[in-house]
Amino acid sequence: MGHHVTSSDIKINGDHLDNSKLVKVKMIAAAIAAIGSLISVYLLFWGPEPEGLKPGENASGVTQGSYAYSWLFAFYFFLTLSIGGCFWTLLHNVSNSGWGTSVRRTFENLGSTYPWMFLFGIPLLCPTVQHYLYEWMNIHRGVGEEPMKEYLHHTDHLLYLKHWYMNIPFWYVRVIFWGVGLSAVIIFLRKLSTNQDTDPNPGTKRLFKARFHSTYTLIIFALTITFTGFDFMMALDYKWFSTMWGVYLFAGSALNSMAVIILVCAWLQSRGHLNKVTTPEHYHIMGKLLFAFTVFWAYIAFSQYFLIWYAGITEETSYFLIRNTGNWNIAMIVLVFGHFVVPFVVLLQAWLKRNPKTLSILAIYTLCMHVLDHYLITIPERGVSLGNIDPKYGEICVSMPGAFWGDILAFVTIGAAFLFFLLRALGQYSLYPNRDPRILESANLSN
Amino acid sequence: MSTTRKRVYGYLAEFKSASALFKAAEKVRDAGVKKWDCYSPYPIHGLDGAMGMKRSILPWFVFFGGITGTITAFTLAYTTQVVIYPTIVQAKPSNIFTVPAFFPVMFELTILFSGFTVLFGLLALIQLPRLNHPLFASRQFHRATDDAFFIAIEARDGSFDTQATKQFLEEIGGDNIELVEEEDQG
Repeated sequence: MGHHVTSSDIKINGDHLDNSKLVKVKMIAAAIAAIGSLISVYLLFWGPEPEGLKPGENASGVTQGSYAYSWLFAFYFFLTLSIGGCFWTLLHNVSNSGWGTSVRRTFENLGSTYPWMFLFGIPLLCPTVQHYLYEWMNIHRGVGEEPMKEYLHHTDHLLYLKHWYMNIPFWYVRVIFWGVGLSAVIIFLRKLSTNQDTDPNPGTKRLFKARFHSTYTLIIFALTITFTGFDFMMALDYKWFSTMWGVYLFAGSALNSMAVIILVCAWLQSRGHLNKVTTPEHYHIMGKLLFAFTVFWAYIAFSQYFLIWYAGITEETSYFLIRNTGNWNIAMIVLVFGHFVVPFVVLLQAWLKRNPKTLSILAIYTLCMHVLDHYLITIPERGVSLGNIDPKYGEICVSMPGAFWGDILAFVTIGAAFLFFLLRALGQYSLYPNRDPRILESANLSN
Repeated sequence: MSTTRKRVYGYLAEFKSASALFKAAEKVRDAGVKKWDCYSPYPIHGLDGAMGMKRSILPWFVFFGGITGTITAFTLAYTTQVVIYPTIVQAKPSNIFTVPAFFPVMFELTILFSGFTVLFGLLALIQLPRLNHPLFASRQFHRATDDAFFIAIEARDGSFDTQATKQFLEEIGGDNIELVEEEDQG
């Protein structure tokens, strides 16, 4: 038990990660990310295209079109982890929490990867890539001389009605705002927190300031997670809509960023950091949050399925029709049991949540399920959309054979970059806010 | 004139503060006393650890109570909606794959059965409701709901001794030590 921690246990200049030991890992991660990015840029803009398909044949292998989906999948997967870091920082501040002060810096460090991870979305701003992903943009771009709204009114009434939201200039404005807005929030909050580490007279002013500014910026967070989900993912099929979509992505995001936070804290402690200030009590609380969001995810995921299944409206059912066709159905059933039933039963145990090792294993498991979840969100759309969007991709198919190599490449590339930026953030400042007025309250936590 | 026999319940000792109670509880725990309890006007964080209390068995009751609820609801919905009187809505099948429609019922009954198990399991484990408690015979004990902190060591405990237990309570900082006797109408 880490009870009775006093100010003499808190290092006056903070607890710093030894950067020299991490140079090698960071170099390797950066190298993988750089090489992967170069290959990705080649594939996205000058990649191979299917040629000479006979009628009834489908495209296969990694192509320009298939790789656009791979990139979107990997980009959005890691973006959810970063957004979740922003969420936990904001929530900790706004709920006036004392328990997590000793792990708050990890929330902030995870959140601080957001601006960098968003940069990996730049290819999605290019019309060449958008051509394969967003059918509605192709329709808008193909209008020509005629006034847009009049054209849509005559050809596609749905796009006509959605024109106020789904138009290309507004899309760019929104996407840039999602990138800049939340980045500004997390950079500001992290700076506020890290400035305290060297302040000889820290006081409580930053505590109240962070709490005040976290209130309205929480709205920016909510808009970002909801509408990046709309603009990048839901727009893959402009006919489809789900009112649960934003909440669904948020549930996965909060759950899995907590898994990352648990892993980072356990890793830091195994290297002798966060001593005295992070105890089994903290892991217990983080484990409880992991458990709570496992249930929340299941609740939201089922609600979305249930609403669509119950209503049986053509526009809505397409999502589950695609994902319950062929082998995708097996993956969806695995998701139900693997993402909910198994972690639900396992995480009920209290001792398991108090032990950093067992909790880390569960956090890794949860992250694997998150990969499956996001794979099923993005990739089943590929075979259906590509045949629809571009005639040279042949017929509509359930899945494109061989295209998964691209998924792995994109995932490893952006994953290595995520690791690099996370390690870089961890090495920049003290690993816990050593001069926060609540650090002792947090260190002596009991729940 | 009725005859009143008195039975010794145990010793009650007062402590000055929550932290004094906490430290005394640790000592009682380490002395290996089994039948005893702490009384305070408000919950004290970590006191269960200081008292050396084991984890309650209640969660397991609740777990199986919840599972019973899930199975009951599924059986109920499946029997009525599929076996006895299949309800076809929007051409949806009426078979095992209709299970999403049963989920709300399954969820509700899981919660209901868990809730019942919590309530009645808890009452059974702490032996409530009861009409009286021997400690109510003490004149100072009512202050446990106001401003006083108490430890009571019961006579049922194997290590109980009229002299030694009193001395032990004094050593760990107890005040106003009182031998509480429960009235037993005979």
